[in-house]
Amino acid sequence: MSVLTIAEAARRIAAKQLSPVELAKTQLGRIHRLDPQLNAFLLVTEERALTDAKAAEARQMAGALRGRLDGIPIAHKDIYNTAGIRTTAHSKQLEHNVPTRDAHTVSKWADAGTVMLGKLATHEFAFGGPSFDLPWPPARNPWNRDHFTAGSSSGTGAAVAAGLILGGTGSDTGGSIRGPAALCGIAGIKPTYGLSSRTGILPLAFSLDHAGPMAWTAEDCGLLLQGMAGPDPEDPASVDRPIPDFTAELGRGVKGLRIGVIRHFFEQDHRASDATRAGIDAAMDFYAKEGAEVRDITLSPAADYHAVGYLIMIAEAFALHGPWMREHFMDYGELFRDRVSLAATVSGPDMIQATRRRRLLCREMAAAMENLDIVVSASQPGEAPRIDSVEKWTNMEKPSFTMPFNVTGFPAISICTGFGEGGLPVAMQLAGKPFTEPTLLRAAHAYETAMPWRAKRPAMAG
Amino acid sequence: MSTPPIDEAELNAMLRRAGLVLTPQQVKAILPGAEIFQRMIARVNAPLPREAEPAPTFKAEQG
Repeated sequence: MSVLTIAEAARRIAAKQLSPVELAKTQLGRIHRLDPQLNAFLLVTEERALTDAKAAEARQMAGALRGRLDGIPIAHKDIYNTAGIRTTAHSKQLEHNVPTRDAHTVSKWADAGTVMLGKLATHEFAFGGPSFDLPWPPARNPWNRDHFTAGSSSGTGAAVAAGLILGGTGSDTGGSIRGPAALCGIAGIKPTYGLSSRTGILPLAFSLDHAGPMAWTAEDCGLLLQGMAGPDPEDPASVDRPIPDFTAELGRGVKGLRIGVIRHFFEQDHRASDATRAGIDAAMDFYAKEGAEVRDITLSPAADYHAVGYLIMIAEAFALHGPWMREHFMDYGELFRDRVSLAATVSGPDMIQATRRRRLLCREMAAAMENLDIVVSASQPGEAPRIDSVEKWTNMEKPSFTMPFNVTGFPAISICTGFGEGGLPVAMQLAGKPFTEPTLLRAAHAYETAMPWRAKRPAMAG
Repeated sequence: MSTPPIDEAELNAMLRRAGLVLTPQQVKAILPGAEIFQRMIARVNAPLPREAEPAPTFKAEQG
């Protein structure tokens, strides 16, 4: 059986053409065969998966499916708490940690009938990676195992691309969903801040952390987001507002959409590769041809967004990890501990200035989008680099394309725009106004279904 | 945008003030990152207009 999308698997399950138990067994077989080369999984929960799948199949036979996620094989980034199942943050600090309660979003996906296959690799505490001094090795990119997945949702990116799972959870503080989505050639959406709960997800930086899904297509991300979004009184950032049908606009095309290209981000501020820029240009040509209005826009330099986001992220991370770092510094991997130690150089006024400037940047982005539906940038500067070439300070040296949407909290999705000279995926990032995920997914879906990229999986995925 | 210099001794003092008592080798390993980070801090501290004030607000009813 070839790897299915969630949408296709859901259709076949609803039509009783596909057994959730057989699907789970197929996926477990792929994990056993391929994951030793990828390290995407920290733990495979085979018994739990088969129990979940049998329950889904019973509902299928009784005509009582809970929706389109019922019977769908997924896995969780290992910062999502899972009751009775080890949750480590890929760190020695939590090597034997077994939570007593599921994260809010883990419960929601379980209630929707998903089949949990296990826990996925991450950069340590969603920040320190790729690291080779942790209890488990880093995930590898299925397109070329010598190359980086990006992070921090590295295991989810690798597992989806290799077809080990149909979708999975990610978290995104500065780009940790969109980065691995880009380098692994899949789709990943960081929803609007507050749309999905963070309760039970090990935090990195409270005011920048977002929880979201990753999958092969934008449509699948929409289906998974449907099962994640919603208010949670335990998360102070959670927004209590009606949840739309995230796939309702799919298929409507892009005619009339107003699209702004933040060209200076990826041409001047941090010049992306030829293939990345060509992919974005071709996508904009496609959108224009389909009736969208496309124009360039100018914002503050990407470095302004990056500096504000990075400073706040480091300070908030140290507020959380400081007590452990003071007592057990060497129990963290080198990348995490050295990066977060930089918080020692942040003064109180620095932090206040960062929050003031953040407010200005939020206002700038909102004003720029007043007459736009979508803005476009790169997701990553190019194809995945070799994993052994990624250095400790690499993510600080040039501004990130993803951080602006963590700073502002606006929703953003990364989708594949083809392949570069090295044969590895390149991507673009689409962002929208707060709570306009259906429109964002509509534009992403229109592009994906018109292009050939979703038909090609990594060679190892078969 | 000026970048305040930072050296190993100053970084070590800052780390100690934050409760991180590290070996000289550990401090040395952090120094290159601190130099890049100082440039980010300088960027954040560039002069702001007065209307940038309302960011750190508190609303009691948020609980």
